[in-house]
Amino acid sequence: MKRILLLLAATLTCSFSAHAKLNVVSTLPDFGWLAREIGGDKVNVTILAKPTEDPHFVDARPSFVVSMRNADVLIDGGAELELGWLPPLLQNARNPKIEIGKPGRVQASQGIRLMNVPANVTRAAGDVHALGNPHFTVDPIIAKAVAQHIAQSFSALDPANAAFYEANYKKFEATINAKLQEWGAAMLPFKGQHVVAYHDSWPYFAHRFGVNIDIFLEPKPGIPPSPSHLTEVIAQMKAQKVKAIIVEPFHDRRIAEKVASATGAKVVEFSQFPGGLPGTDSYVKLIDTLISRLAAGLK
Amino acid sequence: MKKIILITLSVFPLTVASAQDATPSPNSSPTPAVSKSTPAAASDVEALRQQVQSLTETVKALQQQVKDQQAVLEKANLVGETGLPANPEPSPIAGTESSPTPEASAQPRFPTEDTSVVTSATAPAVSGTPAPGGFPTADTSVVTSAPETISSTGAGAPLTQPITIGGGRNYMNISFDGLFALAYSSARDLDNIEVGDHDPQQRGFNARNIELALDGAVDPYFEGFANIVFKLDNDNETEVEVEEAFMQTTNLPFNLQLKGGQFFAAFGRLNPVHPHAWDFVDDPLVNGLFLGPDGLRGVGAQTSWTLPLPWYSQLIFASQNGRGSTGFSFRNPGDDGMFFDRITTDREARGLQDFVWIPRWENSVDLSPTQVVLAGVSGAFGSNETGANSRTQIYGADLLYKWKSSHAEGGFPFVKWQTEFMYRRFQAGHGANDSFPVAETFHDWGLYSQVLWGFKKGWVAGIRGDYVDMQDSKFTDDLDRQSRWRLSANLTWYPTEFSKIRLQYNQDFLEENFFLSARQVESIFLQWEFILGSHGAHKF
Repeated sequence: MKRILLLLAATLTCSFSAHAKLNVVSTLPDFGWLAREIGGDKVNVTILAKPTEDPHFVDARPSFVVSMRNADVLIDGGAELELGWLPPLLQNARNPKIEIGKPGRVQASQGIRLMNVPANVTRAAGDVHALGNPHFTVDPIIAKAVAQHIAQSFSALDPANAAFYEANYKKFEATINAKLQEWGAAMLPFKGQHVVAYHDSWPYFAHRFGVNIDIFLEPKPGIPPSPSHLTEVIAQMKAQKVKAIIVEPFHDRRIAEKVASATGAKVVEFSQFPGGLPGTDSYVKLIDTLISRLAAGLK
Repeated sequence: MKKIILITLSVFPLTVASAQDATPSPNSSPTPAVSKSTPAAASDVEALRQQVQSLTETVKALQQQVKDQQAVLEKANLVGETGLPANPEPSPIAGTESSPTPEASAQPRFPTEDTSVVTSATAPAVSGTPAPGGFPTADTSVVTSAPETISSTGAGAPLTQPITIGGGRNYMNISFDGLFALAYSSARDLDNIEVGDHDPQQRGFNARNIELALDGAVDPYFEGFANIVFKLDNDNETEVEVEEAFMQTTNLPFNLQLKGGQFFAAFGRLNPVHPHAWDFVDDPLVNGLFLGPDGLRGVGAQTSWTLPLPWYSQLIFASQNGRGSTGFSFRNPGDDGMFFDRITTDREARGLQDFVWIPRWENSVDLSPTQVVLAGVSGAFGSNETGANSRTQIYGADLLYKWKSSHAEGGFPFVKWQTEFMYRRFQAGHGANDSFPVAETFHDWGLYSQVLWGFKKGWVAGIRGDYVDMQDSKFTDDLDRQSRWRLSANLTWYPTEFSKIRLQYNQDFLEENFFLSARQVESIFLQWEFILGSHGAHKF
């Protein structure tokens, strides 16, 4: 009797796991969209943060605990961007599958050299991230690395579909490689130009595409723009003939508009996340949009 | 190992070659191929040139070999992290300028010819110690930064690693919080008007909550937390409180969690929240008068279970000693051995009935992507010290509604409405040795309701209404048994999440009862706070 039950249980779990899709939870939309790229219809991806909200300050709402409890895979940045809200969720999720070190946990920044690692961590410098700038997926080459991590995790957890995930990764890789030439060509005329951003979310993007996004409306990361700082920014922009100001959906656009009208620059809406701008429901579309918007803004 | 040797081999002749290239002067780098003694003749130069050329060939061949090796390695071991195309390398624009595609298709992971990327990706041994000339790039992101990212747990760091606050490398998060208030009140006994122990207690300056918080993973099975609170009394003497110190499990099966130590009871919304995270300067009346000036907390154990339901639903069950002032309505001997005018007993637990039993059930659903509701019911049951067999029961219900903009910056704007209701049945007995003539049962109830509006990044306005109904008694003239209500309004500015400045106005109305006359009190508080150390994550 016992043996029959065991057998039954075994078949049940087998058949269940054979047909069940992987439950993937992603803290931020960029990782989530990469996971969709790799997992296709073999995974269910739940994205916690909204693409239009400030990723530093997301509420650790209880429904997220439920998502994480049921997750087979958790993808987080691993670079302290979600420091303000992920730890209490992990505490309450009680899900051993997504512990650090398990195949069910992908820390996107793993193996990636983060830029702007502060030599001295002091909050006098504003909201600095001790491990380096965590807004790294907007560099397509880094996105490939993240996608590969995700593919490896999926393959380890769902070996039956490993070939599928691998093929999707290869496809993604090929697309990015081809697109990089296109994007590079589109940005080539603006090489070395200065661009202003509201917040320092763009060093990886700037590095990849050869522009200098090195003036910020925030006097220090996370500190709201002050009039005296904006006066300085305006002077700097005039001196360097800056043509574009990047704002993200959650930033106060009016401040950027004021600076723009004082300098003749254009406000360009940007987003780190697929879904943060209209028509960007994939990673490639997001970068496409960013490139075309920035190119238009710099013309 | 083989790789490292190969790389060393390839780097060595490179340096040699460059040294020779750059040095017509004889007394520069001492290389075995150069004769130091004689000035260079034309034929020597020619010989050297040839040598350099052959060396360059060798280097090229070796580089190719390394690449091939790497390709084999990658095929064999796709999971290996050393093979990741993980480095930001120079712009692909460089690639578009020269002939773009063949390199990309041959090495599909690297749509660039920049050797810094290829070398560093294939040879982590080199990237840690960049040899001069090893990186023909000025790309600082490749050359200088840390060899690899450290996970936020700091796992893998050696035991001797010092704790560095703010980074990922630590075994323990440390934070320090200072909460101060400047108070004015029309009452001369502010300590009777304000019911919480961490509330301002005198006119003038108050430092009632200076807190050292420690937490971290104990091992793969437990997490540990400690909150040590220092406060200055009205004579500026320092008092120390072990507010919380407990460990809890991290990965029990079936969504269970166990907790043991000194901890706040999970009764309602506000009780488990540390004062520095409150939305108002002071404790609501009902919390201070029913659960106690320091909240309901004590040494005990707790188990909690998240139900396997599609929404968030959690059952929590705790037991604590409930003894002393942190078990205020329970086994509390009271100030000077008196509670509600009875001389209290102060006895050892006789059995399970003398512990405080604290169940809670909470549920939460998302009404929409921007709206969340959390509702809970709680209870606290135990005996009290006013008689041989007198019991206390407290029931609570709480509701939280929060809206936050889908375009929130820094968590703003938002609207948060929070309400808690409590009912207390308190059997006040005959006191120790039947010294009090009357036994009474008090049916007390109270509630508070507050709305917080974060109208702009860093700015929050709040209003709160408080009411407590204490059953009138002809036998008990305790000040705490006066029914009363309060209206509060405040404005808080958070320059960052690590500091705040808050201005609050309170209007208190104390109702007449059999012994006490009515009073009206106005108070104004200016509160400020700083937080040092690790970022305390915000529980919902």
